[in-house]
Amino acid sequence: MVFALTDTQETLWWTAIVAGFVVVLAVAALLTILVLLVRTIERRVAEIKATLTQAESNTADAALLDTTAAGVDLVLAEGLEHHLFLGRVLGKVRS
Amino acid sequence: MNTLIVLTVVDIILLIAGLALYLWLVGSGLTRVATGLEECNGLVQKIKDNAADIEGNLEHINRTGGVVAGALPLLYGMAEGIVVGATYDPKQVAERGPALPASGRRRSRLHEGVGYLPDGPVESAHAPRAEAESA
Repeated sequence: MVFALTDTQETLWWTAIVAGFVVVLAVAALLTILVLLVRTIERRVAEIKATLTQAESNTADAALLDTTAAGVDLVLAEGLEHHLFLGRVLGKVRS
Repeated sequence: MNTLIVLTVVDIILLIAGLALYLWLVGSGLTRVATGLEECNGLVQKIKDNAADIEGNLEHINRTGGVVAGALPLLYGMAEGIVVGATYDPKQVAERGPALPASGRRRSRLHEGVGYLPDGPVESAHAPRAEAESA
């Protein structure tokens, strides 16, 4: 089969081929940028994960605050005992 | 003519292959990102659960600690009052003379110890003999 092309058609075909290569190069450049951005996101997600792991280990002992609150209550109760004792002793010393 | 056809096919193949390669790269990268974000989500949930205990307990500790801190000056005042009241003050102690020995001869209680009472159980029997003799 033989195609008979006019000069104009051949010129247009060449133009389309060149435009196609330009498009391929542009797509490659844009996709390269996209891949680099995805790698940047991946690296920063890893950093966020490391930070969150550290934060999780830092807050893992927060449950001990309940024990601390109970201990502070015991300190308050002991302070009230001291208050009663000192009040009795002070009354005897003054009398 | 053949050159045009070959170049057109090459152009199309390059476009398709490039798109496929880059999409595979982007897809694998986004998959890793999704995995990392899922793990981050789990960590955030754990941190949220851990932080849920902090607020209430801290309020409790602050409230109780405030009561303790407010009561300590009262205890200090009471302790200082005890110290002032119990400290030795020589001005308040009465002056006492020197201790003197008992004068005279002490009466023997050997007879009474064995039940011998020649004068009978009179009150003078218990008085010192020196006083009885002088009387």
